[in-house]
Order: sequence, then C-alpha cells, then structure tokens
Amino acid sequence: QTVLRSSDTHPDGYPTVEAVKYFGELVKERTNGRYSVEVFHSAQLGEEKDTIEQVRSGVIDLNRVSMGPFNGLIPETTVPSLPYIFRSVDHMRKVMDGEIGEEILAAFEPHGVIGLAFYDGGARSFYNSKKPIESKDDLQGMKFRVMQSDIFVDMVNALGANATPMPYGEVYSGIETGVIDGAENNFPSYDTAKHAEVAKFYSLDEHLIVPEVLVMAKSTWDKMTPEDQAIVKQAAKDSVAKQRELWDAKEKESRAIVEAAGSTITMPDKQPFIEAMGPVYEKHVTDPKLKDLVERIKAVQ
Amino acid sequence: MELWILFGSFAVLMLIGTPIAFCLGVASFATILYLGLPPLVIFQRLNSGMSVFTLLAIPFFIYAGDLMVRGGIASRIVAFAGSLVGHMRGGLGQVNIAASTLFGGISGSAVAEAAAVGGLMIPQMKARGYGVDYAVNVTSMAALIALLLPPSHNMIIYSISAGGKISIADLFTAGIIPGLLLAAALMLTAYFVARSRGYPTEPFPGFSAVVHLAAIAVPGLLLIGIIFGGVRSGIFTATESSCIAVLYALLVTVFVYRQMNWEGFVHATLGAVRTTAMVLLIIGTAAGFSWLMAYLRVPAALIDGMNAISQNPLIILLLLNVLMLLLGTFMDMGPMIIITTPIFLPVAASYGIDPVHFGVIMILNLGIGLNTPPVGAVQFVACAVGKISVWQAMRSIWPFYGAGLVVLGLVTYIPAISLWLPAMFK
Amino acid sequence: MTDNPEQTSRWSRIGGTLSKLSTAALWLAGIGLVLMTAFVAWQVFGRYVLNDSPSWTEPGAVMLMSWFIFLGAAVGVRENYHLGFDVLLYVLPDGSKAALRTISDIVVAAFGVGMVWYGSQLVALTWASTLPSLGLPGGFDYLPVVAGGFLIILFSLERMALRFAGVDIDKDVNVDEVPEVALAKEA
Ligand code: NA
Ligand code: NA
Repeated sequence: QTVLRSSDTHPDGYPTVEAVKYFGELVKERTNGRYSVEVFHSAQLGEEKDTIEQVRSGVIDLNRVSMGPFNGLIPETTVPSLPYIFRSVDHMRKVMDGEIGEEILAAFEPHGVIGLAFYDGGARSFYNSKKPIESKDDLQGMKFRVMQSDIFVDMVNALGANATPMPYGEVYSGIETGVIDGAENNFPSYDTAKHAEVAKFYSLDEHLIVPEVLVMAKSTWDKMTPEDQAIVKQAAKDSVAKQRELWDAKEKESRAIVEAAGSTITMPDKQPFIEAMGPVYEKHVTDPKLKDLVERIKAVQ
Repeated sequence: MELWILFGSFAVLMLIGTPIAFCLGVASFATILYLGLPPLVIFQRLNSGMSVFTLLAIPFFIYAGDLMVRGGIASRIVAFAGSLVGHMRGGLGQVNIAASTLFGGISGSAVAEAAAVGGLMIPQMKARGYGVDYAVNVTSMAALIALLLPPSHNMIIYSISAGGKISIADLFTAGIIPGLLLAAALMLTAYFVARSRGYPTEPFPGFSAVVHLAAIAVPGLLLIGIIFGGVRSGIFTATESSCIAVLYALLVTVFVYRQMNWEGFVHATLGAVRTTAMVLLIIGTAAGFSWLMAYLRVPAALIDGMNAISQNPLIILLLLNVLMLLLGTFMDMGPMIIITTPIFLPVAASYGIDPVHFGVIMILNLGIGLNTPPVGAVQFVACAVGKISVWQAMRSIWPFYGAGLVVLGLVTYIPAISLWLPAMFK
Repeated sequence: MTDNPEQTSRWSRIGGTLSKLSTAALWLAGIGLVLMTAFVAWQVFGRYVLNDSPSWTEPGAVMLMSWFIFLGAAVGVRENYHLGFDVLLYVLPDGSKAALRTISDIVVAAFGVGMVWYGSQLVALTWASTLPSLGLPGGFDYLPVVAGGFLIILFSLERMALRFAGVDIDKDVNVDEVPEVALAKEA
C-alpha cells in the first residue's frame, strides 16, 4: 500500500485540490487500495517552482501546477501560456484534449516528470478602477499590475497600456491609492482577493487561457507496473471532467458575487487585441518547432 | 518515530550548544535520511525559504538601524525624549520608554532598539543613582515596543510564514495601538517602581529647550511618517520602504547630522551583514524543518488535539498563548514565528480568529519571550550593556513582566485593540 | 602541542589564508548588501520617475541576498556569532565543554557537507531551466548554497583544529552589537 503525496498551492476545497482528491479516489478504487493519494494544499510543501523541483527529484509523487513555472524548462509549455493563443475556453479544451495536448504532455518526460492531464485554470482578463473597457483604445495609458514575466509585460505594452510588476499582496492597496489602475485575473481570484471592492470594471478580454497540469514524478511512475500506470493515466483523464465541472461552477459563483457587489462586466471585441499581439509573438516565439505548434493550435476549429 | 528524530535531535543539539540554525538544519537532515527521501529537499528549502523578496526587509531594517545608531539619529531622539518626560517620577526610566517608543517607530528590531536606547540610557541612569537592574529591565521591556510599532520585520516574517497572503500594511497598522498600550503600561509600572525605590526626577528644561531638541530630532523622526505613510498609501511596498529607510538614514546621517564617515559606513554595513546572515540562516534552515512538519502532518494533528480539548475560542487562545510563552522561553522569535505560524494559525483560524489579530498576539507574546532566559536576545543585550547577569535582572523584572502580560491579555481578548485601526484605513 | 616551530608556522599560514578568505567573504557580502539596496532603490525610482518598472530588480536583489547570507553565515561560523543556547555549557566543566563544542563543530561541518553535496545536485537538476527575467540558468539559484557550504566546512574544520591545538576560540558571543553602541554615545 503506497501513499502518493501531491502538492497544490490552492486552498482546500479549490477545484484543482478537489479534482486531485477525486483522482486519488479513482486510483485507490481501481488499484484495490494499493495506491492512495494525499493532497497537501495551500502550498504547505512550497511554491510551484519548489514543488516542481521536488517532483523532479522524487521527493513528492504528484503535483498540480500552472504551466508558467515549467516555461523556463520545457519550451513546449510556453505555447499555451501565450496571450490570445486560444480564442475561447472551448478552443483551449479541444486543443489540450487532442493530439497537441498529448504532444505537450510527452515533452515533460525527458525532464523527470510524467504529464498526466490538463486542468482548467480559467480565463484571465483585465479589471480596473477607472472606466469600463469597451475596446482596445480604452486601455491606452492605463497602469496594470501583471505577473513578473517579460511576455506579460510585453503583452500589456503592446495593448498600449503600462505594465507594473508588483507583488500580488500589494495589488489591493495599489489600486485603492491609484499607484496602479488595475490588474488582471480570473473571476474567482478577482473575487477572493477582494480586488472587486476597489476595481469595479471587469472587461472579458480573456487574454490568457492557460491550462494547468497534473504531473507525476518519473521515479514514482517507473516503480509502477504498466497496468497501474494505465490506471493512473486513465484516472487523471477521468478527473479532468470533474475538475472542469467544479471550475465552471466556481467561476459562475464568483461572477455572480462580483456582479451582485456592483462590478460592471464588459465584453470588448477581442479581434484588435489579438491583432496587437503580432510583435509579441515575433519576439517570444522564435523556435521553428514552437512556431509550428502555434500555427497548429490556431488551426484547430 | 520520524517526529522523535526531528524533535529529539533538535532538542539534544540545542542543549549541547550547537547554533540554532544548525540544530534545525541537521535535525531535518537526519529525519529526511531516516524517511529515505532525497535529502536535497532540505537544502532546497534552505535556499527557497530565504529567497523571498519580502524578506529583504530584514537586512534593510537591520542596516537602517545600524546606520541610525552610528550616525546620531538615535542619540538625538533620546535627547528629545529626555526633555519631554524627564521631569516625571523616575524620569530617566520614562525617558527610556519614550525614546524606545519614538525609535520603535523607525526601527524594526527589538535587539537593535535595546542596544541603541540601552547603550545611551543605561550608563546615564547608572550615573544618576538608578539601580542597574531597573535600568536594564526598563530597557529590555521597552525595546519590545519596536516589535509592535511599524516598521516591524517580525510582522513581515509572520506574513510570509502565513503564506504571504496577509497584508503587511494591515499588520503594521494593527500593531500601533497595542504598541502604544504597552508603552503606557510600562511607563505606569516604571513610575510605581521608581516611587517605591525613591528615584529622582529631572528638572523640566522649559518649552524652548523641548522645541529646540525636537527640531534637532525631526530629520530622524520624519522617517516614521515616510515609512508608515508610504506603506499605508501604497506609494511603496513594505519591502521597498525598508530600502527607503536605509537611504534616508544615510542621507540624514551624512548630510544633515554629518556624523557618518566612511569607517562608520563600513562598520554598519558589515555589522548588518553579520546580523542578517545569522537571522536569515535560521529562517532558511527552519524552512526545511517546517517542510518536514507539514509533510509529517504535525499541524493537522495539533488541530485535532486542540479540538479534543475545547471548542471554545477563548480557551484555545489561552492555550495557544501559554504554549507560545513556554516555547518562547527557550526559542528565539524569528524561528518561533516561522515554525509555529503554519501550525498555530490554522488552529486559530479554525476557531474564527482573524489572522491579523493573531499576528499581533503572536508578536507580543513571543516578544515577551525575548526577555525570558534561557534564550532571550533582547534581555542578553540589555544585560550586557548594563554589565549585570541575567539572574540579577530577573530578580526585579516581575512588575514589568506583569505589565507585559496584562497588555497581552487585553490584546488577546479585545480584538478591536488590534483590528479597529486597520478597519479605519479601509 | 605547538612546541614544534615549523608546525606552528604552518598553522599560522593556514590560519592566515583562512582569515583572508573570511575577510574577503565578508566584504563581498557587504558589497552585495549595498548593491541590493541600489537594486531596490532603482526599482522605486524606475516606477515613479521613469514610469517603467524593471523586471530584473526583484529577482536580482533576491539572488544577491542569497549570496550575502551564505557568505555571511560562513563567516559567522569562523567568528562564532551564530545564536546558540549556551546554558548547559555554563555549568559544565571545561573538559566536557570542549567535547560538546567539538560535537557542535562536527554537526556544523556535516551540514556544510550536505550543502555542498545536495546543493550541487540542485544546481545540476535546475541547470537546464532558465530563470525568468534574469535569463540565467536555474542552477544559479543554488550556487550560493554550494559556495557557503564549502566555506562552512573549511571554517568549522579550522575551529576544531585550533581547539585541538589549545587555542581559546569559544569566547562567548551574542553581544557583538554592544561595543558598537559605544561609538554612538559620543553624539
Ligand atoms: Na518598529
Ligand atoms: Na526567551
């Protein structure tokens, strides 16, 4: 009887945490209790960069992480992290469930991790304290906090706004005092971080629709029989539907909360946003293999 | 068994005098070897635990404190405090506490404060016929005010240990009233002790002298407004404010007071490196220790244990306070916060206690532990400045402990003392 | 034990080298602290004056901090300023005191070995990845662990050798901030 230890930075009850627990139940049931899964939520074992190193060296067995921290290691993971690469959440799901998704999962193996499945991380959009964003022009000159990454900074600048890197914990007071005009995130974070209190205008531009990934340590995987490996792989796939169901419910709930609290949600035309990304792609997608991947993703209907 | 190795080897090594950072590191190292996990995780936590941008505030505040002591900011604050409260009964004791309160508003560390204010006040108090034990105890207890008033790097450590999701600006604001309350309680205690011992008062120097000394102290004291105003209004983050404090302290000591020279600068820099390295190495090795505690599910077991004892948050707060006081007698504040926050905060939170409120309780509680032997950094520094043994200080510290515990009780059971001010800023 | 003059001079030569190494490490660490101050100041300046926040200041400052902590921590082993719990040592006779101090030094050296060995493993594990904003190999994060571990081993071995040679190196610490205060009193 083996306990597989899994890390997650989200708190207990979050869709990803619950999905991995569900995955664990499936594994336990299908291996007749030979394997079970214990989830360490709330970053108890470390932040994502650290737990990725722990999985790679076999300290822990499983990890639910975002794609971002893998970008510096596995070039293929940068493609789904590109701004406006996916037209919609449905487009993302179709790509990641298909052969392109399998191809990206396979790219993990040479680095000591087995990619098991992709979960939903929601769509990130801009929100601000100044005005509703009806079109790209409305963004001109506004200051947004973005994640510490060159590509996100370039994205915001390409849209005509100013990127301001800032620790996440400072965003609330930053908006309140006008140091920044806004930030960007998905509905659940916009709600739980209370940013909706100070930034009332949410514009659904969905610039980032980045899937998250469930991975297993290769050292753990190699100790399993092929039958158990198949069970794990299938259970991970089966947990995806569960995660998406939980995620959709969570998103709907958060959206209802912020709307009830007085947030205005606008839906600007995304086409000009997408077109503005040309130079960003030119700068950050230089590898022919990745260029090809971008083209193939865009071609998926 | 794993827990026995972890806690047992830690306790044994600590008893034989191994530096705490290495007690934590080697206890974790031994446990991870026993568990058969790749030991590299301990050394990963060692580095990741200290490689956090918010932690930069620790070297910066320590550095700024060194510069302020060396460059004459601290001594001018003491002179100003002397003109304000020196004429009260046991005047120099009151001056000590007032100076600690003012200096506490610009310094983030209680040890630095005890060294700075104690270094200036204790010799004077001795010369004026005060008992050295009185001078030392007033110094060491008043130094704790620096922990509660912003800036406070221990509050930053708390925020990080809680996962970085507690607003540092809120924690800073929450500490103000408890800090002033502690100052008031200590002044009252110092007054009564001074009266029973028949200590003298100083003549009031007159308003023009007060104004003059205030004007001289103002360039240094302006830092209170710069740090608190800057952080509260979001002009810069708490971490950035600590860097601003360094630059500002340099500016004032070099160009306004003209008391900082190259040699002093080098000494302050190397001194800050030494102190920071000592503190942050403990934070790093404690990160490995905490990782193992999480991996071995210690916090969950403790919550279950607490649940079995009582469902009443008031009793749980009492238990946590007693537990922290006990642990605080033989552990230092920084590692205590890092090790116990991930364990105690979930317990407190599960009883509906606000994390900002709990942070203030923890800082004050563990602060008192800085003045309890066998491990009490602030008390040691104060005793060393006064050149008396810890046992001599202990004989007459009880009224001051009493004041500290009364304030701790008030802060624990009246959440508004901590939470009212941050709510005002919302 | 130190009767042989040749041996003594060899000891003092080694001691001199280590002393220079320790001073160099401390100065490097001090320069790191000053640079770190400059980085963060630049970040604030950039945000308000240049209206453009550089993305390298945060990770750059954190990496500098990592270096100066591990260098400073190693110097701390040599200068014996790490915080410890010395109560038991006060009440013990000198002989057992020295024995316990030696055990402590072995423990410190063992941790230094772990830092070098497992720090190197971490460097190897992360070398192929790239750090965001800095563009350096990920292994750079763990180089300070290896370097610090190496110095910690050297300095704890030196302590053991000196104690064995009869030098009194176990002076009490913890009060090193106190003499500095004397300087400030002149004001
Ligand atoms: Na303070
Ligand atoms: Na204590």
